[in-house]
Amino acid sequence: MKFRNPFLRIGLLLTVCFIIAACASTNSHNDEKTLTKKDSLVLAIGSEPTDGFDPTTGWGRYGSPLFQSTLLTLDRDFNVQLDLAVNYNVSEDGLEWIVQLRDDVKFSDGEPLTIEDVIFTFETAKNSQSVVDLQNLKKIEKLDAQTVKFVLEKPQSNFLYTLTMLGIVPKHAYSENYRENPIGSGPYKLVQWDKGQQLIVEENPYYYGKKSPFKKLTFLFLSQDAAFLAAKAGQVDIVSVPPNLAKETIPGMKLIALDSVDNRGIMLPFVKPGYDAEKGIEIGHEVTSDLVIRKALNIGIDRDKLVEDVLEGFGTPAFSVADKLPWWNEETTIEDGKVEKAEKLLMDAGWVKNADGIFEKDGIKASFTLVYPASDQTRQSLAIAFKQMAKEIGIEVKTEGKSWSEIEEVMYSTPVVMGWGSHDPIEMYHLYHSKYRGQGYSNANYYSNEKVDQYMDQAIHAITPEEANEYWKKAQWDGETGFSALGDAPWIWLVNLQHLYFVNDHLNIGEQKIQPHGHGWPITEFIANWTWEE
Amino acid sequence: MLQILNIGKFILFRTIKFIILLFAVIVCSFLLVSYSPVDPIQSYLGAEMMVVREEQREEIAEYFGVNESKTEQFFHWLTMFLHGDLGTSLLYRQEVIVVIQERFLASFALMAISWIVSGIFGYVLGVIAGMNEGTMIDKAIKSFCFILASTPAFWIGILLLIVFSLWLGWFPIGLSMPIGMLAEEVTVWDRLKHIILPALTLSIIGISNITLHTRQKVMDILESEFIRFARAKGEEGFRLFARHIFRNTLFPAISVHFASFGELFGGVILAEQVFSYPGLGQAIVQAGLNSDVPLLLGIVAFSALFVFIGNLLADLLYYFIDLRIKNGETI
Repeated sequence: MKFRNPFLRIGLLLTVCFIIAACASTNSHNDEKTLTKKDSLVLAIGSEPTDGFDPTTGWGRYGSPLFQSTLLTLDRDFNVQLDLAVNYNVSEDGLEWIVQLRDDVKFSDGEPLTIEDVIFTFETAKNSQSVVDLQNLKKIEKLDAQTVKFVLEKPQSNFLYTLTMLGIVPKHAYSENYRENPIGSGPYKLVQWDKGQQLIVEENPYYYGKKSPFKKLTFLFLSQDAAFLAAKAGQVDIVSVPPNLAKETIPGMKLIALDSVDNRGIMLPFVKPGYDAEKGIEIGHEVTSDLVIRKALNIGIDRDKLVEDVLEGFGTPAFSVADKLPWWNEETTIEDGKVEKAEKLLMDAGWVKNADGIFEKDGIKASFTLVYPASDQTRQSLAIAFKQMAKEIGIEVKTEGKSWSEIEEVMYSTPVVMGWGSHDPIEMYHLYHSKYRGQGYSNANYYSNEKVDQYMDQAIHAITPEEANEYWKKAQWDGETGFSALGDAPWIWLVNLQHLYFVNDHLNIGEQKIQPHGHGWPITEFIANWTWEE
Repeated sequence: MLQILNIGKFILFRTIKFIILLFAVIVCSFLLVSYSPVDPIQSYLGAEMMVVREEQREEIAEYFGVNESKTEQFFHWLTMFLHGDLGTSLLYRQEVIVVIQERFLASFALMAISWIVSGIFGYVLGVIAGMNEGTMIDKAIKSFCFILASTPAFWIGILLLIVFSLWLGWFPIGLSMPIGMLAEEVTVWDRLKHIILPALTLSIIGISNITLHTRQKVMDILESEFIRFARAKGEEGFRLFARHIFRNTLFPAISVHFASFGELFGGVILAEQVFSYPGLGQAIVQAGLNSDVPLLLGIVAFSALFVFIGNLLADLLYYFIDLRIKNGETI
């Protein structure tokens, strides 16, 4: 047994080494914690923008672009505010947008921001082949040293939102590597980006706007589990969490649930079964093409119960694709959970319940298959809960999980659980305008209503956002028709998810906008107003 | 001279085999991605899909290169690959080779440390078990190995994370450097602190293979004639090990360990996910989830090369052992 000793000795030595190492590391760990606070924050709020911090390829579309600033901004209530612009106006025909620029703005490298930079930004973005869509921008002209004219191909009232989303990049400092070394006129400048790990930013000394009390921000790119653990270990000040972790508690942190338009709903094929020869696809559905069925489902299901059961209370009932946004028509909120009313609707239309309690009419059973993306657990749960609620009304729903590519094959003829929610009303245009029927995911249910098309075209041609919003609202419900549940009801909107964050008890992030579909970065939008309270 | 010629021939054969293998791996990976249900444009646009016009989507499709047919895409990629160009990652909007360079260093440090640690520990445990066959120690080590061999890496990672980082606070939660610290302030000690847990996770996974293999080897040798002879001369315990067993088991152990490069690569992907460690593993997961074909194929080709080198080294070691035996040298 002698021979074992050397091994034991080595093992013991290694163990001791580990313990010493561990003890030493505990000390330095504590130093870090007490040293900085108050003027610096650590955030674990979202995924890393892997394609970098270049607004011309989509950075900063929601939330604060941090490093850059935009011509216009939207305040909490979606009112247009001036940022880099001192004023703007739109020509009568809606084709020319004239924007006048402030003359006192400098980039974080000390160089002045000029009209050339604005032109450069929009031209670069137009050719970027990215999510930034400037197809409708015909040309940009410099009128004088501080004024620029955007000329559009066709009138587009929501061009306004592009002006609020696209951060201005410096022509002199723009290169292949800009997305890694962004220079801009925003509240912060990039100090260090450790890819896959963290982003460290510091106050931009040249920033012209309201200064944030936090001089340094560190954004961590951790997996959800790791981010939660980091918060539990007291290493982050704000962390985004999925609903299943929201029931936990983190000492020293409070849970904040932000309302959103991150919605989930069911798209119902609007037309009778048929074949779109032009596109070569099967379209329509016998049962869901019946307005009465769509209306009965809309009033029969209980959205509050869905929020409670499926989202564990972290959500709000959804009645449209744009709940609570300025272009949303409040009148379209309906009273739901009315099973008897739904039954009565169906019976009045000649539907009769069979022995199984399922409605039938002319030998057709009120039955359809509801497809959901199999990878999304929330959508699956919603589909199953919906199925039970539909059964109470007397409509049979079969659920089936599929991959997105399979869904693309069947979505023109089968109801699908979908989710949208943008801060740009153009989304409604693409979802409900008849000219987008069968174009990819746009209007996949082949919805069409001449009146609705007309209102939405008027909205696009409107000059002011207020005027546009009036038409957007009319397209939803004008008292007689519309695409909401009161009108043609081609969708059953179910719920809006809430976005959940644990926030340090001392950190006050104030009121937030209704959050868009994307999680995380949007919360940084009003970071200048965040405060630390002892 | 003959020997050098032989080795040259051996390496040449191996390389040819590797090129064929690489081609097969790339074709398979490409087929898999092209049948993947993830549409790269959809995953890029997400919920923004309704805000982007059809014309713009065409532009994006063009940038992504998904307008071409699958075969066109593949041959396009292959020609570029043969010219030494791995293309541009759709996700990172950056050259694939740059992404791999940036990421590989971190992964390599992680793999190197855990490869060495698991090699040493695995070998030592294997010898202890082998020399004490049938005793409690042997049984304990054996069960330990079986448990480890059937434990998923990410689970061990999370366990270590919870115990050492959350409860005890000895190690950081993840990343390869302290939160919010500037690169020039980061010390070697900081780096080390961050690498310990992921490297430990990886080593734990690697240990069982080499331990069980070494244990078997030691037991085989203990059965042999020359050991009986040595024992008859009164050699026992550590002396017996040092004189006869050590050299006979070390080479096979090292070559087995080289051959485990493939598993090492697989393990590093999981460990990096758990510890948010910024290496190749993280990149390949994102590439897969978003159908970033150039990046995925680039990393696949690169990792095939990596595993090939590991296996080649293992084979060469065996080759040398064989030569020595043939030449009648004593080991």
